[in-house]
Amino acid sequence: MARIEVIMPQMGESITEGTIVRWLKKVGDTVGKDETLLEISTDKVDSEIPSPAAGILAEILTPENGTVPVRTVIATIETGGAGAAHEPRSGPPEAPSRESAPVPAASHAPLPGAPSPAGGRFYSPLVLSIARTEGIPLTELESLPGTGEAGRLTKKDLLAHVAARKSGGSPSPAPAGATVKAVPGPVTLQPADVPALRAKYPTPGHEILQMSNVMQKMAQHMVQSVQTSPHVAAVHEVDMSAVVKHREAHAEEFEKKEGFKLTFTPYIAEAVVKAIKKYPLVNSSVEGDKIIRKNFVNLGLAVASDGGLIVPVVKHAEEKSFTGLARAVNDLASRTRMKKLLPDDIQGGTFTISNYGVFGTLVGIPIINQPQVAILGTGAIRKRPVVIDDAIAIRWIAYLTLSFDHRIVDGALGGMFLEEIVQNLQRRDRETKI
Amino acid sequence: MKITPLLSVSMAGRHPGSHDYETSMAETATPEQKRGAGGKLSNPDRLELYYYMRLARECDNAILRLYRQGKLVGGAYTGNGNEATAVGSAYALEKRDYLFPMHRDLGAHLVKGQTARNIFLQHLARGNSLTHGRDGTGHYADPSLRIYGNVSHLGAMIPMAVGVALALAMRKEGAVVMNYIGDGGSSVGEFHEGLNMAAVMQLPFILIIENNQFAYSTPTRRQFAAQKLSERASGYGIPGVTIDGTNVSLVFETCMKAVDRARRGEGPTLIESVTMRMHGHSASDDASYVPEGMVDEWRKKDPIDRLEKILLSDHVLTPQSKKKIEEGIKAEVDDAVAFATESPYPPGEDAGKGVYAP
Amino acid sequence: MPALTYIDAISRGMWEEMERDPSVFLIGEDIGAYGGAFKATKGFLEHFGAERVIDSVLSEAAIIGAATGAAVAGMRPIAEMQFADFVTCAFNQIVTNASKIYYRWRIPVPMVIRLPSGGYIHGGPYHSASTEAWFAHVPGLKIVAPSTPSDAKGLIKSAVRDNNPVMFFEFKYLYRRVKGEVPEGDLTVPIGKGDVKREGGDVTIITYGSTVHFSLEAAEKVSRENGIETKVVDLRTLLPLDRDLIIDSVRATGKVLIVHEDTLTGGVGGEVAALIAEHAFQDLDAPVKRLGALDAPVPFAPTLEAAHLPDTERIVHALRELIRY
Repeated sequence: MARIEVIMPQMGESITEGTIVRWLKKVGDTVGKDETLLEISTDKVDSEIPSPAAGILAEILTPENGTVPVRTVIATIETGGAGAAHEPRSGPPEAPSRESAPVPAASHAPLPGAPSPAGGRFYSPLVLSIARTEGIPLTELESLPGTGEAGRLTKKDLLAHVAARKSGGSPSPAPAGATVKAVPGPVTLQPADVPALRAKYPTPGHEILQMSNVMQKMAQHMVQSVQTSPHVAAVHEVDMSAVVKHREAHAEEFEKKEGFKLTFTPYIAEAVVKAIKKYPLVNSSVEGDKIIRKNFVNLGLAVASDGGLIVPVVKHAEEKSFTGLARAVNDLASRTRMKKLLPDDIQGGTFTISNYGVFGTLVGIPIINQPQVAILGTGAIRKRPVVIDDAIAIRWIAYLTLSFDHRIVDGALGGMFLEEIVQNLQRRDRETKI
Repeated sequence: MKITPLLSVSMAGRHPGSHDYETSMAETATPEQKRGAGGKLSNPDRLELYYYMRLARECDNAILRLYRQGKLVGGAYTGNGNEATAVGSAYALEKRDYLFPMHRDLGAHLVKGQTARNIFLQHLARGNSLTHGRDGTGHYADPSLRIYGNVSHLGAMIPMAVGVALALAMRKEGAVVMNYIGDGGSSVGEFHEGLNMAAVMQLPFILIIENNQFAYSTPTRRQFAAQKLSERASGYGIPGVTIDGTNVSLVFETCMKAVDRARRGEGPTLIESVTMRMHGHSASDDASYVPEGMVDEWRKKDPIDRLEKILLSDHVLTPQSKKKIEEGIKAEVDDAVAFATESPYPPGEDAGKGVYAP
Repeated sequence: MPALTYIDAISRGMWEEMERDPSVFLIGEDIGAYGGAFKATKGFLEHFGAERVIDSVLSEAAIIGAATGAAVAGMRPIAEMQFADFVTCAFNQIVTNASKIYYRWRIPVPMVIRLPSGGYIHGGPYHSASTEAWFAHVPGLKIVAPSTPSDAKGLIKSAVRDNNPVMFFEFKYLYRRVKGEVPEGDLTVPIGKGDVKREGGDVTIITYGSTVHFSLEAAEKVSRENGIETKVVDLRTLLPLDRDLIIDSVRATGKVLIVHEDTLTGGVGGEVAALIAEHAFQDLDAPVKRLGALDAPVPFAPTLEAAHLPDTERIVHALRELIRY
């Protein structure tokens, strides 16, 4: 009989500690290898942790809500002796108390998981009927963050959105096929009771809320980035009509073949990767007076989860075909929603794309994701009257913003790099095969 | 303790299919008077018994014909050979008494006042039958005649029939319950449970076991080990008797004693009436398991032939009056078959209605 | 309003009905001189006499059969099963006779079968069973299962007055543990109507009998600890189910937990879940969740019994699962 240790994993290179959200097994429960054992929360990501071995959960060393350094042993699993832990240790059996009785498995069949692994998001019948009643299209539903299990959109989430929408608090959605499916939305915050603050900010009128782990870390990173990099922003207009047409022409065939929807994100990713190949300096980092230029492109995509902003990374984007990029984007987006990201998924980015267009934002100025030196922000794609050959035409227009680190990227390079992206997108020939 | 007579309130006019008792009887007698006055059968009584036995058999024959013509709904279960037991026993009952017959007791239904028309409506599952097509054959109840038909689990009737006897005793109505079971039905637990309760509580209850030699294909030697089923009575502390079930007079006289005893509040009686099931269990049973010659032997004791011979030799029945009776029966059966055949089935949409009493 | 125990409320209801209607009588084992195994009929023999308080032979089939026959003959019997477990011996009488008579014959069968039901009393496999689901499948029967003294009295009175066989499931665990105010006088509770025992907008529990009390405890706990408000619906009648209340209460929250003491498979909860799936599918924000006893006989040892039956902790656990979803 062997004892296997369960440790607090390191969910990212900068992560030093993790918090146990919930143990899904109790001491004495049988657990299968890779069966979900607990849920943790770290500064960067919330995740379910699979059991490293099959056996019986022998000890829980860190209770729920406990925070421990990474690599700390948090539980042990006894292998090879199935059932042993069920036997009374010694002495008379415990006094009969229903409160302490084990929870029988038969009557506690777990609820079926919310999202399907194919990436299509699951909506409860009620959510769908509310959406229908309120006239909310599926694309808009897709853009809403969920607070339910595995990021499921709950009735409450949707009703809150409906209320906000009616009071004008929530912008109208981006056009069909917003780039990244899971996008930031209102994060559920827990009330915090701090007497000192409560005295200063009395109820009613004030609510004191606890910043989430991800939010605290975001604050730290953003302040640090602004202090580190002198930010300069350039905004270019891009005519997305070619991309829109291409996507329309291929969407159906693509979904049939790949099993997920074709979005705008792989188009932008492809254009960015091509532009980086031409202007590789934007794919660098700075250490002292040295520039570390990367010959690979690890493309970060800002995605929201119910805990806050997460930036999963498409590794070696420069090696991927268009379809390969689409698959990688879809995989990361769905695993983000399902809290199935691995630590490696959120590390090692060299350039980041942030799509705030899903909120209807036309122009934004993103903050660089350190230690990178540039970040691309993509605004909402809208039909606009534009002048082409002295004629007014209706085209799908978006604004792209490049925020760059003026320590090594000047306005000329930034402008040229951004224009290259614009040209790549505008040249997207409808006939180009996927 | 004051007990309100409930039956008159709760049952009067309840049954839309009920018929006036007297008008349905043969013209030779009205039931309330003199049926077997003083335990003796008068000549008119004997003629009436003859009439009912023949009517029962002709109804059975017509049922078999309808079955073979594909007109009957469900199976055909006859009482051929059992007429003396069915008719003779029910003849001992008064109007106020309760009949819980089994499925070979058509004669008892008729004696208690049921019309041939209602019998055929039941067999043809018509909407105007006593069960409105919800159940078939003799499975109906006619509270106006105090007939409560059987369920297919015959033994299950016994505790319920005992319950009616309990109500009658509680209300001191002086009425009795007569219930019938086959030799096969004597093997179920409810036979014991019901009869024991009736015995313990001294209820006005008569249980007749129609021992007709076979329960479907199972012969009596594989059904019980006792010499006589009536021997069981002593186990309950009640009288038990085994009689020749093809002798209608004997059946009547035996039952009359039991009815009188019950009416006096002295408790139940167990009667084993030995007969022969002359047909298969149902019309689809060729009865090949019946030993050769057995039916022929029993045919010599055919209950109707037995009575007919006596009545003819006693000059109670003449060839002329016999012919008149036969013509009357034929007309009655033909009318009933025609009436039932022309009657409509119940509308399908009624199937789910009336599960609960209001 | 006087406070009565659950069992006293049943006794009081029967007493009043016997005073009101001379056709009402009692039949059962040891109910007369002894006053019943649980003393539900203590004092009845002295007051109403041996003709209306009948100490019967030890035969459930004879008791139910006799009650059925008496009902057909116009009486209104209340038959007592000493334990709900023993009703198996009378299954044929109930299913073959009592339940089908009105449909076949249009003769009312006004009878009540009292069934001291359920566990939490260390009674073992033959004194703890929940047997209601077997009968919930039988058209023609009505099944009631009150959880409070007030409902128990109101429902026993309604059951006596009903013109159909009514299976009256009473919960031994509640007999003397639960005490509550019972309105005086001739107050009945309608058969076929459930009752909201607690209001809440976040999640709905649908339950009956003993588990109503555990559900209310659980609801208080998640309210206190999670700020979650649970609506607790007491079905009270299991046949026919209060379909409107079930659907409405599901609509109110979108999340539903069905709880009963009976085993899960084939239990009444399955029927409730099916009704919800059929009629409230578009109102569901989570899969319907059920909590019942293990699919096993009710075991004897206190540890085993505690593990077998649903309790407050398990209801809390299930509620939290639903809330998280």
